[in-house]
Amino acid sequence: MKKFSFIMTILLISVFVLAACGGANNNAGENMDNHSNNDTSTDNTADNTADNTADDTADDTADMGPTEVRWFVGLGAGSDEGTFAPQEAFVEKFNASQDDIVLVLEIVDNDVAFDTLATQIAAGNAPDIVGPVGIRGRDSFKGAWLDLTAMIEASSYDLDAFDPGLVDFYHDAEEGLLGIPFAIFPSFVIYNADLFDEAGLPYPPAAYGESYVDADGVAHDWTIDTVRDLSMQLSVDVNGVDASQDGFDPENIVQFGWQNLWTDLRGTGTMWGAGSLVDSDGNAQMPEPWVEGMKWTYDAWWTDWFVPNGAYGGADFLQGPGGSFSSGNLAMIQMHMWYVAPWALGDVPFAWNLAASPSNDGVTTAKMHADTFQIPKGAAHPDEAFEVLTHMLSEEGAGELLLVYGGMPARLSMQDGYFATYTEANFPGSDINWDVVVASMAYADNPNHESYMPSFQETTDRYNEFWNLLANNPGLDVDAEFEILLADLQSIFDAAE
Amino acid sequence: MAEANKKKAVKRITSKRLTDASKKLLITGMALMVLIVFLIPMGYGIVTAVKTDGQFSKVGAPWWPASEGQLLFEEKEYDMFLVPLEDGDIPISLALYKKGRTVSQFVDPNNIEAGPFEWEGNWRGLERDWAYDPQWQNFSEAWETIDFPLLLRNTFLYAVITTFGAVLSASLVGFGFARFRIPFKNVMFLLMLSTVILPNAVTLIPTYYLFLRLGWVGTWLPLVIPTFFSWGTNVFLMRQFFMSIPRELDDAAMIDGANPFQVFWKIIMPQSIPALTAVALFHFFYAWNDFFGPLIYLAGNPEKFPITVGLTAFNNLYSQSTNLIQAASIISVIIPLIVFIFAQRFFMQGIVITGVEK
Amino acid sequence: MNEIGELRNMGKVAEKSAPKFDSEAKWGLGFLTPWIIGFILFYLLPMIASFVLSLYDFNPAVPDEAFFVGFDNWRRAIFEDEEVRLSLVRTIRFASISLPIGLGFSLYLAILLNSKNVIAKPIFRALFYMPSMIPMVATVLIWNGVLNEQTGWINIIIENITGIQAVGTEGIRWLNDVDLVYYAYTMFGLWGVGGAMIIFLAGLQGIPTELYEAAKIDGAGWLRQLRSITLPLLTPVIFYQLVLGVIASLQYFLAPFVLNRGTGAPEGMTRFIYVYFYKQSFTFFNMGYGSTIAWLLFIVGLIITVLLFGTARYWVYYSSEER
Repeated sequence: MKKFSFIMTILLISVFVLAACGGANNNAGENMDNHSNNDTSTDNTADNTADNTADDTADDTADMGPTEVRWFVGLGAGSDEGTFAPQEAFVEKFNASQDDIVLVLEIVDNDVAFDTLATQIAAGNAPDIVGPVGIRGRDSFKGAWLDLTAMIEASSYDLDAFDPGLVDFYHDAEEGLLGIPFAIFPSFVIYNADLFDEAGLPYPPAAYGESYVDADGVAHDWTIDTVRDLSMQLSVDVNGVDASQDGFDPENIVQFGWQNLWTDLRGTGTMWGAGSLVDSDGNAQMPEPWVEGMKWTYDAWWTDWFVPNGAYGGADFLQGPGGSFSSGNLAMIQMHMWYVAPWALGDVPFAWNLAASPSNDGVTTAKMHADTFQIPKGAAHPDEAFEVLTHMLSEEGAGELLLVYGGMPARLSMQDGYFATYTEANFPGSDINWDVVVASMAYADNPNHESYMPSFQETTDRYNEFWNLLANNPGLDVDAEFEILLADLQSIFDAAE
Repeated sequence: MAEANKKKAVKRITSKRLTDASKKLLITGMALMVLIVFLIPMGYGIVTAVKTDGQFSKVGAPWWPASEGQLLFEEKEYDMFLVPLEDGDIPISLALYKKGRTVSQFVDPNNIEAGPFEWEGNWRGLERDWAYDPQWQNFSEAWETIDFPLLLRNTFLYAVITTFGAVLSASLVGFGFARFRIPFKNVMFLLMLSTVILPNAVTLIPTYYLFLRLGWVGTWLPLVIPTFFSWGTNVFLMRQFFMSIPRELDDAAMIDGANPFQVFWKIIMPQSIPALTAVALFHFFYAWNDFFGPLIYLAGNPEKFPITVGLTAFNNLYSQSTNLIQAASIISVIIPLIVFIFAQRFFMQGIVITGVEK
Repeated sequence: MNEIGELRNMGKVAEKSAPKFDSEAKWGLGFLTPWIIGFILFYLLPMIASFVLSLYDFNPAVPDEAFFVGFDNWRRAIFEDEEVRLSLVRTIRFASISLPIGLGFSLYLAILLNSKNVIAKPIFRALFYMPSMIPMVATVLIWNGVLNEQTGWINIIIENITGIQAVGTEGIRWLNDVDLVYYAYTMFGLWGVGGAMIIFLAGLQGIPTELYEAAKIDGAGWLRQLRSITLPLLTPVIFYQLVLGVIASLQYFLAPFVLNRGTGAPEGMTRFIYVYFYKQSFTFFNMGYGSTIAWLLFIVGLIITVLLFGTARYWVYYSSEER
């Protein structure tokens, strides 16, 4: 009896271990039949729309009729509440227009989107089309995307309709063409006009190359230093004294002048110049402009007091649906086109407009986000997914979707007249300085601030920790902290072999 | 003499009673103070939950729920402030029309036709005109936004099903440990207790991967199925209880030809209602509050979330709306509380059964 | 107390008789089947598989790219990766703050609510027990609000009563100050003392009152009684809570995750060992490395448990040693 149970145990262990190792050899594309867990619901915790007709038809199992194409949203734009209903509407319209494909929407909160998608791919349950996804999303899943070249050639898809520079963006030397440009989100400065009025200061320049004429009529180049001077005047304490004046009380600041909002070390540093944390040999490096930018920001947090530091960042008076700027207590931010949308700026009780990005040492860098829709390698229905993709990129499809995500069309024919439609749909009656948005395209960052790094998530976490350390502790030796960061990044890169 | 003694005795008794009473009051008072401090966060939660949105972004807002007075002037809303027209005057409520560093313009709500007039001074030093305005509808807003009925349904089903499985399997296994002589029984019992005591992280990854390949990730199965295979603590409780039941009835039944299973089902179980209830209640609440399991197995499937994970996701999505977060938390608290109020006696007794068994 | 007592006793009484597979044993095994299957399927096999996995570099999202790395993961975890050691140290530091305070507070409450000088004891007990029923997530979120340095009531009250600057960014930053954050987390845990309190209460009620009366006759005050009667006789219960508490600390995850998504803010202070394990396994998807960390955690837990049990006989007093 003993011998038998001993053998049984060994057998069971081997079976399990084989399963563990054998699982490591399985083709990632193997499609496991998952009737029990195939979750195609369009609902999201915050979704109140009750209309699920698309969902109901999609739930017919073993349906030999229309092919179901799963659309995964959440890696980039599209997971904010204000975008749910319009995306649903798009899906319904598409489904009603043809009978071969049933498009099913899956919206996942951005915070968990990466983990969720990774889990789905690992389980052999990859969605058919993912997007909008930007560079960060694409690079987080390096190796997981389908090369579209074959399908493009087979359908004679016209790539010339897009800006060639942007098409190149999606071309990876090893992996082929992973996406077709859909939307671009240049960045620029957004300012709170009311706060400028209150201080009696003129607005920032509306076009690149213009200088900033201050309250005394003196013209300055629109550089980062000018931004600093201006922002200090716009950082005010509870007594109405601003940061450039004596008697400023840093413990009771009620309004700030500047912030590089909703970005990280790389995004902020890029305002001083584009770069990458990975050098040509794959080792960790810290670009000089980024060191400069970090020091400038550190001073702005703890000495000059015009950017909200860690302690102030969580303060109630800087909260709003669009972060600190929408609270009305922040004067200027550098931000992308996708922020100029109703969900962030729709209900704000102050006047705002767009201005040019500042330059550093004669060079202006306005970081760029570019989103598109991509097809995972493990997709169940790649051909149908490609069809949906072409629809999304078409003039009609993109026309609807761009209004939702707030992006500029990458399709050349759509670029004229786009902004008039956009203003009409989202901010009727306002006079927004769209020219600066188009002009900002010329200053896109190359390499992109979201480009690939080894162990992407872990590296991001590590440099975010560095950022938080500086944001919460005055009196640090920034250079020394950079040394520590670089050493850690190097060991992460080394372990990623 | 006896009279005097009796009087002294009465005095001593009454003065003793007084010191007793004052001691009682003192210590009860201390307990009350501790209780109040202990429960302060609840008060905070409720008060914050009914604050207005605007309160958070405006500096100087009071700690009680309030909304700022506003004036509709020329089709725009302007905030009202308490402004002393001259130094030393009683401040009156005026609408701030145009802000300026040293000079601002105000409109008098009682004299709108006069239009805006100038006032010298620092507007930031002024208090806004706050009025008490609790937003009780925040609760219903949080309720709908978080889709609480869905979370509730999920949590309830999860708790009920797993409790059923847990109680059933714990009884079976506990009976086995309690009533039979089995080779290596002590070894197995020791192993079972160690699974309770030692960290379980080491089993997590392969189990997760197994469920991943089975396609069960994203469903309730990985969470429900294991409970039918019993859980150390519950088994222990049932075993203790069974061991305290005298064997006479068992033996009598066996002599009459009953097999052990019939003994289990017909004789032991009916006598074990208190322990079964205790185990059921404990497991119910354990499942109700379970966080890590649902977190990793249900990621990305929000329609299956229980309250714990749903609340976390809500916190991530709506971190800007402090009042809604607090409202949602308070809502999550209410149901366990209500159940507790009705069932508290069972709880406290249940713990005593488990805790005192030595 | 209960389970620990069992374990100790079993260590003493060895199974003398030869194993018999008679019908009784067969029936017994039959009843035990659910547990046996569960143990093998969900505990034994995964533990072994986990060890095997720790020898690989394995990312479940791209399983066909897994490759054998031998003991590389182990070497990295023990010698190279500072984070493993640091997060363990943090966990132990946190436990050394939260366990004494938590146990002390629940013991204090039990003694207080057992005193004959408190009116309406059942109501007090119920009210103190109540918060332990609340889902921990809600507890954390509510306390997070109350400890907010600007609008939280704790700071407002402290400032109003003592005049120390507590409110504002220069005040007491409970959740962002590296020196205070562990105390803040301990406060979350205080709402869960209800269960421990009731168990202590039951233990207290098990102490024969004759002992107290004898002590009073001998002239012992309440403090002396506490030290010489109450505490020694409660040591079994304290031991039980201590073991459970230590193991729970090793697996402390919910609060840091809900508040910071595992980033360990402030400055990594809340990246405890289990949080680091979660990040490596379920965020970075380095499951081979994660398995290594899990095994290390298991070994540490085992060592601590053995130590606790081993030293128990020196301070835990059992009124009945034989069974």
